[in-house]
Amino acid sequence: MSAVTDPPTLAYRRARRRWGAPFLFLLPAALLFVAFLAIPIGYAIYLSFRGMRMAGGGPFGVRQETWVGLDNYVAAFTDPELLAGLGRLAIYGIIAVPLTLGLALTFALLLDLPRVRGARFSRTAIFIPYAVPGVVATLLWGFLYLPSTSPGTWVLERVGLGGLDVLHGPMLFPAVANIAIWGGVGFNMIILYTSLRGIPADVYEAARLDGASEWDIAYRIKIPLVAPALVLTGLFALIGTLQVYGEPTTLRPMTSEISQTWVPLMMIYRDAFTRDNLSLAAASSVALALGTLVVSVILLRLTQKRSFGES
Amino acid sequence: MMRRTIPVMATLSAVALALAGCSSGSGSGGADAEADGPITLDYWAWGTAQQPMVDAWNAAHPDIQVKRTDAGGGTDSSAKLVTATRAGNAPDVAIVEYNTLPAMIVAGVAADISEHADGLEEEFAPGVWSQVTFDGATYGVPQDAGPQALTYNQAQFDELGIEVPTTWEEFADAAEKVHEADPDSYITTFAPAEFGGFAGFAQQAGAEWWSVDGDTWTVDFDDDASVAVADYWQDLIDRDLVLAEPLLTPEWNAKVNKGEVLSWPAGLWAAGVLYGVAEESAGDWAMAPLPRWDEGSSAVGFQGGSAVVVTTSTEHAEAAAEFARWMGTADEASAAQIEQGQYPASLAGQELTLESDPPLLMPQQKDYWETAAEITRSTIPEISWGPNVNVASSAFQDAMSTAVTDGTPLRDALTTTEAEVVEDMETTGFEVTQK
Repeated sequence: MSAVTDPPTLAYRRARRRWGAPFLFLLPAALLFVAFLAIPIGYAIYLSFRGMRMAGGGPFGVRQETWVGLDNYVAAFTDPELLAGLGRLAIYGIIAVPLTLGLALTFALLLDLPRVRGARFSRTAIFIPYAVPGVVATLLWGFLYLPSTSPGTWVLERVGLGGLDVLHGPMLFPAVANIAIWGGVGFNMIILYTSLRGIPADVYEAARLDGASEWDIAYRIKIPLVAPALVLTGLFALIGTLQVYGEPTTLRPMTSEISQTWVPLMMIYRDAFTRDNLSLAAASSVALALGTLVVSVILLRLTQKRSFGES
Repeated sequence: MMRRTIPVMATLSAVALALAGCSSGSGSGGADAEADGPITLDYWAWGTAQQPMVDAWNAAHPDIQVKRTDAGGGTDSSAKLVTATRAGNAPDVAIVEYNTLPAMIVAGVAADISEHADGLEEEFAPGVWSQVTFDGATYGVPQDAGPQALTYNQAQFDELGIEVPTTWEEFADAAEKVHEADPDSYITTFAPAEFGGFAGFAQQAGAEWWSVDGDTWTVDFDDDASVAVADYWQDLIDRDLVLAEPLLTPEWNAKVNKGEVLSWPAGLWAAGVLYGVAEESAGDWAMAPLPRWDEGSSAVGFQGGSAVVVTTSTEHAEAAAEFARWMGTADEASAAQIEQGQYPASLAGQELTLESDPPLLMPQQKDYWETAAEITRSTIPEISWGPNVNVASSAFQDAMSTAVTDGTPLRDALTTTEAEVVEDMETTGFEVTQK
């Protein structure tokens, strides 16, 4: 009897083992995901509905954490500074994103030209600023911007022109954006350049046989073919813009024009740590994260048909 | 910009994680809490004077060893204290600036040490002692005092033939002279972000931003005195007689070194800070009492200064209180402080300064410490700070900076600040009346 019943049991066991294996392999990733992403996000959302309120009376009564419903969201959305911060972010983004991507694409196309000289040197030179840590880069530029320490001002004064204080007045936005552009072009250039190198050479050969100039090749072949990479770098740039924090924070001590709420992340930091209002910061963070998600999805929807050829 | 592709949530998750795994509530130094062995206290403090003071304590107290951590200056350190207290890993003892102490009490960071404070009151001048007592309870031991004074470039003043101003009116006249003599030179800086400095000027003029009666707080940032102070600086800014820009930037430091910024009305600690940025001009500088608003009264406010507090997280409250008391009152501690240019808060420590050399910035000013003692004797006795100075300070900084850059009235910035302070207190649940 046993000889008859054994084989099905074995098959069944084997089947079950096969069924269990994927879950076993998923486990480490799932655990990490839950521990380092799902739980913190859940906790942040939970925190955004809490608040520190006075427990008991007295002028120096101790505050305790309690449930406050949507109070934090109301406070975040009714604060004109959050909207103003998003407005400043928009100006910054309008300057930084197109210039970074435009310069990166231009450099990538130039480096990809046949018989280009000094390509390796130029590539490294353009890429190196990306390797400079953001805070160091900002301090470096800060010193270049301040009239008393700037060699630019020194030269301008020697030739009889007045000094230039870019950290005050309308030049502030380009000055901050410039730091990001300086640091970001190299990274984006490498992505686009790598993508250009992936295009088979026979496509160009065919184009040349048809009499296309290098300009035509760049405009009609290269750019459309690297469109997916452009969308990717565009998305990174957009998300990066929404997360601007380091540059203005590092420049803040040098100018009165950058407030503590200059961009949304600075405001979140101020609420969480300077003002000890972690709940309000959590609410703003949730709102900003959702906003980033929505904007990213819209960008991908708008571009994926064209660039990824999906219908 | 382009490199940060991690979602916003990641920033917050670090914070959330720090808070999530922290319900144990055990203070630091738990491992050392064996009955007999020496205990170790964790101490958060900034400034050059601290390590020598701690070393002196450790040498004299083998049973209670102190480990010092520099957790950043006043604002950073108190922000971290609040977070660390919630996370259950706050140090046992910490330095807190007088004006943030109320916020630390309300946040549950500073412990009531009244039972360990016998005879402590007599060690300090009333004005200093009132900075650490609230509602009849003691929350810290004063360590250094920062009464406001005028630190000025004596060499430049002499060259221009300017007398040291004793009233703010004379100060404005001197400002005019300085700027006339050299259009690049200014008598001083109005730094819009200097909450503590402006608070001191306003207190000198008689302002009381927070006052408490029973359970009810009264908040009044735009009273007549504060508005008068704002208008005074407004006038100097409008006439381009003071530099309206942040302090201690590479830009400002360069100007100080070039002799283009001639004075700094600030806490007594200004001598140490200026020495740090303009060491080469040591000997050019001197210190004088702060100009007065009217001839009659010589009372000045404080700017900065700090107390040693015992945290609510400590498991060694008694040892911590003993250490705090020693740091504020022992002669060895005061001596180490004076050497580093800090002005001790205790009467005995201030006595000790009279036998010391003047600070490095003004080695030629033999009466430096006598002048300091005189200024300290005439500080305003009662200054009350509110429970949300952190909110006030951040609101003030942005409102004043905006006013200076946009050219809107400084006095309006006070009204804006008051509105934010009141709103925050009401949200938290304090009883507030607004004047």
